Amino acid sequence: MPLSKKRIGIVCPYGWDTPGGVQSHVGDLAEYLIRQGHYVSVLAPAIDEESLPDYVTSAGRPISIPYNGAVARVLFGPIAFSRVRQWINNGSFDVLHLHEPAIPSISLLACWAAEGPMVGTFHAAAKRQKVTFAVAPILEPVIEKLSARIAVSEAARETLTEHLETDAIVVPNGIYARRYRDGVVDSRWSGNTLGFIGRFEEKRKGLEVLVAALPKIIAEYPDVHIFIAGPGDSQEVLKEIDSNLHPRFTFLGRISEEEKANFLTSIALYIAPNTGGESFGIILAEALAGGASVIASDIPAFDSLLGHGKYGTLFESENSADLSSKVIELLGDENKRRSIAQEGKRYAQEFDWDVVAEKIYDVYEMAMVGGSTVTLSSENRAWNKFLGRQ
Amino acid sequence: MSKYLFAVLLIAIMAWYLSFSATRLDRLHHRVETSWANLDGLLQRRAAIAIEIARSEISDPASSLLLTFAAHQAREASIRDRSQAETGLTGALGILIETSTSIDGAIEQDLLRELKELTEKIKMAIAIHVDAVTRTQLVRKKWFIRLFRLAGTAPEPVTYEFEGDVL
Repeated sequence: MPLSKKRIGIVCPYGWDTPGGVQSHVGDLAEYLIRQGHYVSVLAPAIDEESLPDYVTSAGRPISIPYNGAVARVLFGPIAFSRVRQWINNGSFDVLHLHEPAIPSISLLACWAAEGPMVGTFHAAAKRQKVTFAVAPILEPVIEKLSARIAVSEAARETLTEHLETDAIVVPNGIYARRYRDGVVDSRWSGNTLGFIGRFEEKRKGLEVLVAALPKIIAEYPDVHIFIAGPGDSQEVLKEIDSNLHPRFTFLGRISEEEKANFLTSIALYIAPNTGGESFGIILAEALAGGASVIASDIPAFDSLLGHGKYGTLFESENSADLSSKVIELLGDENKRRSIAQEGKRYAQEFDWDVVAEKIYDVYEMAMVGGSTVTLSSENRAWNKFLGRQ
Repeated sequence: MSKYLFAVLLIAIMAWYLSFSATRLDRLHHRVETSWANLDGLLQRRAAIAIEIARSEISDPASSLLLTFAAHQAREASIRDRSQAETGLTGALGILIETSTSIDGAIEQDLLRELKELTEKIKMAIAIHVDAVTRTQLVRKKWFIRLFRLAGTAPEPVTYEFEGDVL
C-alpha cells in the first residue's frame, strides 16, 4: 500500500475510441491507481472528445497508418507535440508511464519531450525486421531516457532485446480474475462445444482456420457445436461458410461479464486460432481465469502466455489439420482437459489486477527514487528560450 | 563564399551533436546513480532483515553468527565488492531457510514474507541497474565521446553481477 499519493501521467499511443488491448490495459490501470488514491491523467488520441472519462486528456484526432501488419490509429506531428509538451508541463507529474514508446506516436513524442522518472511498457512482439537497423540509432537516445522498462510478455521482452539491445522487467497485462472465478455451468453451452470470443469478422482472429478444421472434427464427434461471442455481423461471416455447417454455429453477440464467466466454465474447449497481430492475448488470460481448457495457435504472444503449452494446448498457427487433431484428442480425454484447465486457472491468478498493478507501482517507486519530478527536457528548454517561447 | 557557409554549417551541426551527446551521457549517468541508490537502499533493507532473522527463533546460534557476519560484510563492502558480499549474504540466507524447521511464530512468518517480497524487488532493481550501466558503458565507448572527453569526470559505472537464481 503506497504511503504517499503520487501524480501519475500515462500516455496511450492508440486512439481511445477504438477497442484494443493497450487501450483497455491503460484504462484499467488508471482506474485501479485512482482507486488507490493517486492522481492519474491519461493522454491519448481521441475522435470524440466529449465522451472521454474525466481522467483522459485528448491529444487530437488519431490518423490510421499501416504498422506491423495491422492498421494502427496513432498520432504525431507538430501540433500533437505541442499538446504533449503542454500536458507534461501542466501535469507536474511524479512519474510518467509511456506505453509502446518505440512506435511513431505521442508516447515517443512524450519520451523525447520529458525528463525525469519515466517508465515504458512494451506490448508488441514482432520478429526482427531489416528496418530496425535504420531506426535503432534514432530511437536509442530517446528510449534510453526511460528509467525502467516493462515488457508485457517474455516474447515482447525478446523483441526489445533484439531490436534495441535493452532488457526489461516482465509484468503481464492485468485482468479482473475474480469476475471469472465463480462461473456456473450453463447447460446451453456444455457438452461437446467449442467457444470463441472476439471480433470474429477480423481475419487475424482466425475464425477461418477453425471453420476449415471442422469437417474432420465432425467426423469424430457428430454433435460438436460452436458458440461465438463478440460484436460483428454474423450473416456476413456465414456467407463464407459451407451452408451444411450453418446449424453448428450459434452467434451470441456481445455478452455480459457474468455470462462470459459462465460461458468459459461451460464450454468444453476454448479455441483461439489467431493468425497474428496479438501483443499479449488478454482474452486467453480471461479464458484461463474462467476455467476453460484452451487450444491456441502458437503465435509468439500466445506461446509465452500459455507457458509454451503448459497451461493450454498449442497448435501450429494457420494449420487447420493440426487444430482438428488437437481438438479431437482433447474432446476424447476429459481428464487431461480438466487438469490443463485447473493448472491454467491457478496460473491466471497471476494476472489479477491486484498483483499486476502492485508490480507496476513497484517499478514506479524504483523510478521515483531520486525524488525529482517530470519536467520538459533540458535541450528543449534551451531551444525554447532561443526561439523566444515561454 | 558558399564554401565558408558550408563549413560554418558543418561546425554548427557538429557543435549541436556534441552538446546533444553530452546531455545524453549526463542523463545516463544520472540514471545509473538513481538505479544504484534504489538497489543500494533495498540491499540495506535486506541486510537489516537478515540481522533480525539472526536474532529470531528461526536461526540457531551457529547460523546466527554466520548470518550476522555476512550481513555486516554486505553493509560495509565497497561498491566494487558489493555484489560478492551480497551473494555471500544470499547464500547464508538460503542455507538458513532450507535447514530451519521452526518457522511457526507470527513474527518469523512476517520476517520471511518481507524477505520474499524484498527479494522480488531486488531482482527488478538489479535488472534496472544493470541495464542502465550497460547502456552507459556502450555510449561511453563511442569514439567521439572519448575523443572529446564528453564523460568529463564522471566515474566509469560498475556493473553489478548477481547470481539471480540463488536469490
